[in-house]
Amino acid sequence: MSDSQSSRAGFKLKGDTLLKGTVGAAALAIVALIVALAYELYRGSAQSIFQFGLPFLVGRVWDPVHQIFGALPFIYGTVFTSVLALLFGLPISLGIAIFLSEKAKSRRTMKYVIGTLVELLAAVPSVIYGFWGLFFLKPLLVTYIETPLHANLGFIPLFAGTPFGLDFFTAGVILATMIIPTVSAVSRDILNAVPNSQREAMYSLGATNWEVIRGAVLPYARSGIFGATILGLGRAVGETMAVTMVIGNAPRISASLFSGGYTLAAVIANEFTEASYPLYLSALIEIGLVLFFLALAINIFARFLVWRITRGTRTRV
Amino acid sequence: MSEWTFAYQAVTGGQVNYAAVGSGAGISQVTANTVDFGESDAPLTAAQYSALTSGTTLLTIPISDSAVIPAYNLPNIGNGIQFTGAVLAQIFLGTITQWNDPALVALNPTANLPAHAITVIHRSDSSGTMFAFTDYLSDASATWKTQVGKGTAVNWPVGLGCKGNAGVAGCIENTPYSIGPLEIAYQIQNPTLINYGSVRNGAGNYVLANLTNIQTAVQAGGTAGLPPGNGVWTSVSIIDNIFNDTKDATIYPITTFTYALVYLSQTNQQKGSAIVNFIWWIVNTGQSAGGALGYPPLPANVVALDDTTLRSVTFNGTPIYTGP
Repeated sequence: MSDSQSSRAGFKLKGDTLLKGTVGAAALAIVALIVALAYELYRGSAQSIFQFGLPFLVGRVWDPVHQIFGALPFIYGTVFTSVLALLFGLPISLGIAIFLSEKAKSRRTMKYVIGTLVELLAAVPSVIYGFWGLFFLKPLLVTYIETPLHANLGFIPLFAGTPFGLDFFTAGVILATMIIPTVSAVSRDILNAVPNSQREAMYSLGATNWEVIRGAVLPYARSGIFGATILGLGRAVGETMAVTMVIGNAPRISASLFSGGYTLAAVIANEFTEASYPLYLSALIEIGLVLFFLALAINIFARFLVWRITRGTRTRV
Repeated sequence: MSEWTFAYQAVTGGQVNYAAVGSGAGISQVTANTVDFGESDAPLTAAQYSALTSGTTLLTIPISDSAVIPAYNLPNIGNGIQFTGAVLAQIFLGTITQWNDPALVALNPTANLPAHAITVIHRSDSSGTMFAFTDYLSDASATWKTQVGKGTAVNWPVGLGCKGNAGVAGCIENTPYSIGPLEIAYQIQNPTLINYGSVRNGAGNYVLANLTNIQTAVQAGGTAGLPPGNGVWTSVSIIDNIFNDTKDATIYPITTFTYALVYLSQTNQQKGSAIVNFIWWIVNTGQSAGGALGYPPLPANVVALDDTTLRSVTFNGTPIYTGP
């Protein structure tokens, strides 16, 4: 081996070490960040945890004047609105993704325009969605959806109450519109990544377009679409501004879509700035801790679901 | 406050950074010493006074006055539906649920109130406006006082929360048959957008809030017996003072001070001098700007009290204010 070769090898080695060190540090930073987050949330909420214990999680009263704090209405509201968001948002997102990847293949301008618009929507700040929801969407929903539903199906608890528009339903619809860009953009990329051989094999068997999508494309992309959904769910669970502007901010547990509610993120945003005594502040930070673990639990559950569904099947994307 | 910082900068060239974080945050950031001065619609509570770093004195300086109005959205009905404190308390407790409730009809026999459920709106974020309103309801109703109480954030028995004063106004504007407490500044700046009712005062008259009757209320309930700037202001309440006032016929009963909170001993000469000059300007010259914004001027003896308080602010033991 000549001198020049060995020095080059030495340099390469150094570069490798450097690279390994930097990317390793970046990865460790994430771990450190999560630990620091959890620790700080725990430290801040220690007073509330000590005072209320586990009943904090099932307490239904939130009364800062009398120093009684319970998180259940906020947990309920967060889960309820997020489920609604998925229910409304997922089918539309999948529709967009399938259209863009399967149907608009030959129409390049249309594909480009719609694809760009979807990505643009993902960048709209949530407070804008909140404004739009409060001043435009809410009156429309009240007039054309909530009032007729209530008038005809009001005997079902889900549609009981008074439809004024500041409720779980409006919050769910706003959240759905907010997760659609994310879920559809990611799903589209995943569907695009399904190899054409999958489609061609199915077509060669004489399948129709829909049969190809249902039988070859969607099953292949299943785990990826689940991933996209979890991404959307993550946004819905933690969304603050848009929700607080339309949900009514009433700590209530009601089966009705037309009842005012409250979410974990919204109560922190509303009351954090004004928490006027230490226990109050501590209770709000514990709400943050609950939100942190709720998001974690949803992620773990979703991963478990992906594992159960994809176990033994041929999914690659 | 932010309008004042603009006006102050335009007139004097002095720059003040003011962050509108709400009364509670204002208070907690001042007590935590992270800001140089704070503004709040509610005086410090006993707990907040005791949370101050020992040895420091926080001065309370009333810088303007304001009022809370019952704003509503009743199709085809304008300003001036009449309320009493007791009826307002029942509406916000959820015991009066219909606009044509006998109690409301008795107060408004000619108003043709609709047979429609009342949608109650309140602030979702804690605020000095809600402190004033719940203070008033506590005076008017024993049930409210024990069940809900007064505070910048309370456990509202009924209703929906909207964020910020403008948020409450927005919710009322686009929710027919709703009612909610609103700081009057919004109505004065947007008189065509929102209607509001009159409230019965101690003398038995129904008063539709305006700058004049708010000022009369401050004269009646906010001038006598005020503590010195370095005293304890927890129990100062114009609302409480005028609740049973029978001699002032025109006062508006839900009237309150807005306060600036400043440390007695400043730790930075330049900053301290900027703060003192700014608040001096608000209290003395800036009051005329307040009227257009919906804040009537302070009575002369409150201005005099504030001036005394501001003269007491020191840096290194020397008074900061050097002007006339």
